[in-house]
Amino acid sequence: MANHSQLGFQDASSPIMEELVEFHDHALIVALAICSLVLYLLAHMLVEKLSSNAVDAQEVELIWTILPAIVLVLLALPSLQILYMMDEIDEPDLTLKAIGHQWYWSYEYTDFKDLSFDSYMIPTTDLPNGHFRLLEVDHRVVVPMESPIRVIITAGDVLHSWAVPTLGVKTDAIPGRLNQTSFITTRPGIFYGQCSEICGANHSYMPIVVESTPLPHFEAWSSLLSSS
Amino acid sequence: MFRLMVTHAKKHPSLIPLFLIIGSGGVGAALYVMRLAIFNPDVCWDKKNNPEPWNKLAPNDQYKFYSVNVDYSKFKKDRPDF
Repeated sequence: MANHSQLGFQDASSPIMEELVEFHDHALIVALAICSLVLYLLAHMLVEKLSSNAVDAQEVELIWTILPAIVLVLLALPSLQILYMMDEIDEPDLTLKAIGHQWYWSYEYTDFKDLSFDSYMIPTTDLPNGHFRLLEVDHRVVVPMESPIRVIITAGDVLHSWAVPTLGVKTDAIPGRLNQTSFITTRPGIFYGQCSEICGANHSYMPIVVESTPLPHFEAWSSLLSSS
Repeated sequence: MFRLMVTHAKKHPSLIPLFLIIGSGGVGAALYVMRLAIFNPDVCWDKKNNPEPWNKLAPNDQYKFYSVNVDYSKFKKDRPDF
């Protein structure tokens, strides 16, 4: 989850998010270089006397055409690679369905057993000490760690969006449509997210909590929940 | 139009990279749109002979332009033919 006044990304917990953070750092340095250059030129204009000796500037025109083109290519190539990488879903170990309702998520794990449950936010009045306000839910989405997981997302009434920033996942939940996304958690942990498409009065109060654990714990949880 | 471009480029040689970059961008965009029109299974040209090409997808064809990690030709076809 994000700390208060956090400006940057949360730490990455999936390989795609690691790629996105690296690309963001790369793009930020490019933007910093360009802004520094522009600021320097601006300051230079303000303190130097102006002269109009040069009217033909072929060489500098060459430079400031070629260099931005190179900069754009340096931005586009990693960006497109990550974009195509995000769409690749090969051989997931588990498929889970996330259905958005007003105002809760319901999850179905139907690969092996018939397991489905609703996930409501824990109201602040019922929140135990030390838990996160407006982020905790009664039933978390438990997944095995370091396994490719495919999530099929849809909605039961209005538009919602299933987002977990630390996994680099945000996919719209559209009624009547199945959207597919996937992730691999690189470590065990609890990852928080919030509904990311305005859906009514309690849009801010339907969070998503993904709990990533080693496979034996996931299997124990799955047996426990599907038997009850 | 191209003769005018050449005349301008001879007078100001620094325009040449601009023409090359914009030209290759335009040609690239046109080629990609042609690729989509011809190879994208969502596009239907011949309603009589090939009405719904999106129903004929094979598991080992690559439909996207670029594949980072996945080699589609190596996928096995594990579903029945109809």
